[in-house]
Order: sequence, then C-alpha cells, then structure tokens
Amino acid sequence: MNSDGHTPARTAAAFSGPELLRRLWPLLCLVAIIVLIGIFAELAPTVVQRRITQGLIYLVAVVGLYVFVGNSGVLAFGNVAFMAIGAYVSALLTMSAGAKGIFLPDLPAWLQTAEWAPLAAAGAGGGIAAIVAFVVGYPLMRLSGISAGIATFAILVVTYVVIGNWSSVTGGQNSLMGLPIYVGPWTAVIGALVAVGIAFAYQESRSALLLRASREDEAAAAASGVNVVRHRLAAFVIGAFLSGVSGVLLAHFLGTVRVETFYLDLTFLIIAMLVIGGMGSLTGAVAGAVVIAALTELLRQAEVGVTIGGVSLAAPGGLGDVVLALLMLLIILFRPKGIAGGKEIPWPFRR
Amino acid sequence: MIVAETTTEPLLDLRNIEVRYGAITALRGVDLHVKTGEIVAIVGPNGAGKTSLLSAVAGLVKPVSGSISLSGKSLAPVGLEDIVRHGIALVPEGRNIFASLTVEENLQLGATSRRDSEVNTDIGRFFSTFPILGERRNQPAGLLSGGEQQMLAIARALLSRPKLLMLDEPSLGLAPKIVEQVYVELEKIRDDGITILVVEQNAARAFAVADRAYIMSHGQFALSGTPADLRDNAGFDAAYFGVSMDSESRDGA
Amino acid sequence: MDRIVQTLVDAVSVGGLYALTALGIGLIFGVMRLINFAHGELIMIAGYAILLMFGLPIWLVAVGALGAALLLALAIERAAFRPIREADPATLLISSFAVSFFLQKTMILFVGSRPKGVDFLPGLAQQIQLAGIRLQLLQIVTIVVSAVLLVGLTWFLKTTRLGLEMRAAAENFRMAQVLGVRANRVIATAFAISSVLAAVVACLFVAQTGLVQPRMGLQLVVIAFVGTVIGGLGCLPGAALGGFLVGAATILLQTLLPPDLRVFREAFVFVAVALVLLFRPQGIIPARGLKERI
Ligand SMILES: Nc1ncnc2c1ncn2[C@@H]1O[C@H](COP(=O)(O)OP(=O)(O)OP(=O)(O)O)[C@@H](O)[C@H]1O
Ligand SMILES: [Mg+2]
Repeated sequence: MNSDGHTPARTAAAFSGPELLRRLWPLLCLVAIIVLIGIFAELAPTVVQRRITQGLIYLVAVVGLYVFVGNSGVLAFGNVAFMAIGAYVSALLTMSAGAKGIFLPDLPAWLQTAEWAPLAAAGAGGGIAAIVAFVVGYPLMRLSGISAGIATFAILVVTYVVIGNWSSVTGGQNSLMGLPIYVGPWTAVIGALVAVGIAFAYQESRSALLLRASREDEAAAAASGVNVVRHRLAAFVIGAFLSGVSGVLLAHFLGTVRVETFYLDLTFLIIAMLVIGGMGSLTGAVAGAVVIAALTELLRQAEVGVTIGGVSLAAPGGLGDVVLALLMLLIILFRPKGIAGGKEIPWPFRR
Repeated sequence: MIVAETTTEPLLDLRNIEVRYGAITALRGVDLHVKTGEIVAIVGPNGAGKTSLLSAVAGLVKPVSGSISLSGKSLAPVGLEDIVRHGIALVPEGRNIFASLTVEENLQLGATSRRDSEVNTDIGRFFSTFPILGERRNQPAGLLSGGEQQMLAIARALLSRPKLLMLDEPSLGLAPKIVEQVYVELEKIRDDGITILVVEQNAARAFAVADRAYIMSHGQFALSGTPADLRDNAGFDAAYFGVSMDSESRDGA
Repeated sequence: MDRIVQTLVDAVSVGGLYALTALGIGLIFGVMRLINFAHGELIMIAGYAILLMFGLPIWLVAVGALGAALLLALAIERAAFRPIREADPATLLISSFAVSFFLQKTMILFVGSRPKGVDFLPGLAQQIQLAGIRLQLLQIVTIVVSAVLLVGLTWFLKTTRLGLEMRAAAENFRMAQVLGVRANRVIATAFAISSVLAAVVACLFVAQTGLVQPRMGLQLVVIAFVGTVIGGLGCLPGAALGGFLVGAATILLQTLLPPDLRVFREAFVFVAVALVLLFRPQGIIPARGLKERI
C-alpha cells in the first residue's frame, strides 16, 4: 500500500505542489487510462464500442466491490444485489408512464407517473442502494471471514428472490423494457472516472487508513480504540453506492432490466475481475476489469472465427466463461495478489 | 555394549538455528544438544523463543538457517507428519488435547505412527497407572481437569514410543501439587530410557530434575550449564528476567 | 389426515436429500475449513454419468455415477485445493466458487445448458399403500437410503481408524499432524466420502426430477449450505440436522404459507441464515473445540 504521506507529520507537506502530484499520481494514471479507453472506443466499430461501454460499467462495479473488500479485507458476495437495486430504482423512476402502465399496472400512483431526469434517477439508484447497505450492513458488519462471506451471499439471494417475486413493483421474472437509453461510451467513461475518483478519495481518508490497519490485526485495532465496525460500514455503504450506480448505468445501457442479470453469473464476473486484478489496490480493480473485458471480447471474436472453419463452438460466450474461471483459478494458485500485486502505480521518478 | 554410554554423538543436535515470523526474528542462531538419557531444561521469560525452538524441532516452523539432526541424521527433509516417526514426540504448550474426542481416542491418536499390535496393552498400562483416567476413558477429554489433561497429553505423546520427549511448559496453569506429580512422572519416564527436553518458566522446578539447562533470552541462549552452576552464576537473574545486556536497546533504535 | 402424512413424508424425504448434501459440505469444511461450492458439480457429474450410461443395468449405472463423482472430487482436491491448503478460509471459499463455476461452464460448453430428460429408476415412481395411506415408493426409498447413509457414516467416523483421524483433524489439524496423522490421506478420504454422498444424492434427485442439467447441483448446494451454517459449521450432526431442517422447512413452508408469500420462502430461509450468524454464530449445535476460525 502507499504508506507514504499517511503520517500526520507529512499531512502539511501533502499540499505543496510536487508532493500533491506524487500523492495523486496513481489516480492520475488511472484517469488517463480510462480516458484513453474512451478515445479508443470513439474510433472503434459499433460492436466493439458497445463492449467497451459494458466493460467500463463493470469497472464501476468492480471498483465498488474493491472499496469494501480491498480496504476491509472482508469477503463480500452481495454487491450485485446493490447493482440490482440501483438498476430497478432508476428504471422505475425513468420509464415513461405509458410503459409502466403496460408492464406494471399495479404500481402506486406516484410511482406510476414519476418520470425523473436521468441524473436524478441515477442518484436515487445509487442512494437507495447505499441506504439499504447501511440498514443491512449495520448489524452484519460485525462479522468477518467466512461468516461475512455467507451473510453477504444471503443479501444477494434475498434481493434476488424479492425482486424476482415482487411482481407488482418489479415485474417479477419478466423484463422491464423501454428504459431511456442514455449510456454510451462517454457516459460510461464519466461513470468510471467518478467511481475511481471516489474510491481514491476514500482510500486516502483517515477512516480507510484505520480500516486497512485493522485488516492486519482486527483484535489489535479494536484494542487501540479503532471502531472497526463503523469504518467497515462506511466502506460498505460507499461500495454499495458505486455498485448501485453501476447497476443504473447497465440498465440504461441495455434499455431493459431483468432480475436474472443480477445473480450468480454477474457476481462471479465481478469477483473474478477483482481477484484477477488484485483486491489489494485500486489499480488492481481497474486492471482486472480492463483485462478481463478485453480478453472476453478477444475470445468472442475467436469463437466467431472458429465457427467459420465449420466447427461450431456451442453457445456464444461459453468459452469465455470457461477461460475466465480457469484464469481466476490460476491467479489464485500462482499469483494470489493478482495482476497488480496489491500495489498502486508507482511514482516513476526518484524522490 | 559399554561403548554406547560414552558415545559422543548427541541424540539431538541444533546448530545455529534462526527462526523468523515475517519481520519478527524469534531465534537468532541457537546451538543446543541433548544427549541420550538426559533431561535438559530450557528456561526464559515470555517471548524468549522457547516455543519457537520446540516448534522448529517438531517441524511446525521451518528455520531460515541452521541445521537440526537426530542421532547424526539431518531432520531437514523430514516433514511435519514424519517427525514423530523418527522418534520425537511433542507435548505442546496448552496441551492441545482433542477436547471433543474421548480420553481413549486421544491416546489412540498418540499411537498413529505405530504399526505394532501392543498399542492397546500400552493404553491399558497407562489406565492402570492412572485409574482416574481409566474410569473416564469414554468421556470427552475436554471434561478433564487441567492436571488430568496434562497427564493425558504426556501419555498421548509417549504412546508413539519416542526416543525424545519434548514438553512445552508442562506446569502451566497447574496447582503446585499437580506440578509435583507431573515432574515425578518425568523422572520415571527418563528412568525408562526416554530422553527429555523440557521448556519451563518455572525454573526452580525444572532445575530440580534437569541434568543440564539453558537460559534463553531474546531468541538466544544467554547461559548454559548444570542447574547448580547456573544458580550460582551472577548473570542468571539478569538473563532470566530478560533485562539483559544485549539486543533490546539496540533493536529499539 | 392423508394429506398431512403425505406432506410430512415429502418433507422428510426432501430433508433427507439436503441432509446428505449438507453432510458432504460439512465434512470438507470440518477437515479443511473449505466451503466447497463445487460439491454441486460432483452431483452434476454423477447426474451426467447416469444419463450417459442409461440403459445399462442399474447397479452399473450407480457404480458409474459414483466413479465419476469420485474421480472429479479427487481431481479438484489435487489440482485446486491442495496447493492452497494453508490459505485463509476466505481464499478457499473464492477458489471453490471458481472451481464450481469452471466445471459448470465447461459442462455447458460441451453439452449445452438445456436440461436433458432421463427416466431413471421408473419403478420407484409407483404409489404404494402403507397403512391405508398412498405414498410414493421413491420417497420411502429416499428416506431409507438417507438414514442408512447417515448411520453408515457415523459408524465409519466413530469406529474406524481413518474416521478417528478425520475427527481429530477436524478439531485441530496441526496437532493431528504432529501426532503423525497424514493430511493428504485424511483430506482425500473426506473428498471421497463427500463424492459418495454426492453420487447417492444425484441418483435420488435424478429419479425424482427425471432431469439432468449443468446447474442441477447448484440449488441443492445453496440450500444445503444454509443448513450447514444453521447447524453449526464444523459440526457434522449439526450439518445433517440443519440440512434436514432447511429441506423439510422449504416443503412445509411451501404448503403452509399463503400463496403470495410462498414464492418468498427462500428469502425467509436466508434471512434466517443471517440471523443465526448474528445471534448464534456457532449454529444450533455449537461445535466443541472449534476455536475462532470462522
Ligand atoms: N506465529 C507467530 N507469528 C508471529 N510471531 C510469533 C509467532 N509465534 C511466536 N511469535 C513471536 O516470536 C517470539 C518468540 O515467541 P515464542 O512463542 O517462541 O516465545 P516463548 O518463549 O515460548 O514465550 P512464552 O513463555 O510466552 O510461551 C515472540 O516475540 C512472539 O511474539
Ligand atoms: Mg511458549
């Protein structure tokens, strides 16, 4: 971790020019990478452009997961639930009254007629995800290790079951269609920049610093007066907000939402991206999302190529999933800290 | 036949052992030898590295440097599970009996490394020496008192028929009367021909039975010799209570 | 009266299946603190073995199912879990998640994701009269087989040398090793037993549903997994009981809940899981001697 600049003595120096630049360096690099990806998308064919957009949306989700897992060291399986909440909230607030009349005739009147502006609805999506995270996280953040993993898995299942069966409000198993489609490459770039900015600002905060200290030795941190549960909850809520936003973006990129989208496959994808990139650093989260998104796209194209040769490679995306799972296993076995090795991008010059 | 008595090769021989846990160095170059038939005691304050030493011999931690040999043969290639098969048994700190298993099952586990058919005879003999445990052979071992658990842990270790028995603070948490019992047993075990390496904080009790002793402080042996010599040595208190001459101040800087 | 008995028998037979699945998971967790998501894929592979060998004599099909599950179990233990045995439980959990996903997706790649029908053990579908009440033979068989396996496993753990070593390793692995217990042997045995349990569950489950598909193990494992948590991770009787209760409860909730709440029954089950973790983290039957670790 970037241990520089965290001691109180350095705080004052942190605001002088070069020191500030040095401190922000990892963030600036990530911003540059994301902007470059945006420019690349601008020049790419439409299909690739859509893939990049989707990849950037996943990046937001991976960063959301990282904010909690990376800083607290506690495992979480539930972030896709917050994506679902964000997606459905924004969908319900932005769909035209007419569309809602067709798909959801039993909505309460105020919701029936609500047609919010995209940005307000996106904020509401992230915000409600954060509120839900606060309410369920408040009791659950006491848990760590396997128990935390199971409890967050429970969040995922409960959300999935509730959304999938609360037909009058969510449409149940049916898709909601006719959402305004406003997410293209540049919206996704902005989303990714906001996510990376929030995650970076958070991880430089005192709360995150204490949380990371507790990761090494929870008992010692608690003994020295650090309220581990409170700092964990903060990370959990911020992470849920970002996950919610990512769900919003996904919904308005696809134009439809379906509860099946937000379950085990997506959970696996997001976790795999974080594990492969390395859950110890923001750079790792970004690297994982970018590398896996690119790899998946390459595999998809390879599959197309193979089919031309007369050999059919079964369902589309099938090979990609297998490779993804295999890659994740290999990373766990041979490079447990992921591609980034738990580090941020280092300052390239000598001090 | 008579030559065996005077053979110079020690049963256990440690040379320049260094053990680290991440950034912490627990042992900094320790030399130790134990001859067949001896009781050797290691005493020292908390955190001195006594447990680390036994752990290194038992294969629970891997030393970063140095060599450990038993009867002249290196133990470096021997895995944790095979140490007992080479004749070394450990009674760990805190005893670590299997609380949910019965007394008898704990003893059966002690004989895991054996292939002969006398295990049950040995267990029967132990039960006749300690009838209290015999009566409770089918009860979970976790229900035994601390002293009974200590006896069980020692018996469990002996069931592997070791050449060398290592004990980590056998008096820990026991009333003086029970400590007495434990040490009486240790002498009997030695008389049966088993070599003993015992780690203790209760230096007085260990010195009473030991042929030789080492005093450990900050991961090194500060002094060694016969208990009588050590008691007379002026450096004893300083070394034992850990306020000694060496490392601490250096490391602090 | 008939309805009540039928529902109870149904609950007990489904509970039995989940108890067997929960035992398979609990066994592995006990010895190596690994929550094996991939247990579902052991069931799945046994299911496909049944499909592949369908038509051969039934005992041969059963042996085939068992062999397939056994091979897969030993292979994943060797390739995926042994190298990271010393890792923390969270890493193990993620790794088993990846193994499960890998096996499922590989299966989809080769055979597609569509369910395939197979009329396995059709003889068991018939109804029988028992004390004047009509019951399905398959349910009775399921109950009997589950009971026999539970007794058999208990016998194995309580009276054999390997069983003793497994129980010791479950309580304190390092100490067991110090006494000479072979980690590889104990863990491989645990995987082998869990694969037997998986194969039996697969046979019964396929006979019941008549379908085989890549995700068939997932549902079973998720519910059984809940059972192991409720019963107390690391405690085998607890796992069996927890699995049984959760399985039986889903059937009872299915009949007892008013229709509009019925669909939420899994949500209730998982809320219960969270509550157990918060208020009884050691489960209903706390495992003795299992320190912090979870
Ligand atoms: N597993 C471990 N990880 C990190 N540090 C350890 C570990 N085990 C021991 N240490 C450290 O190594 C040093 C020596 O510890 P050790 O347990 O060997 O001492 P000891 O002499 O047995 O103490 P005590 O009398 O309290 O049992 C201590 O500073 C201790 O904190
Ligand atoms: Mg000690």
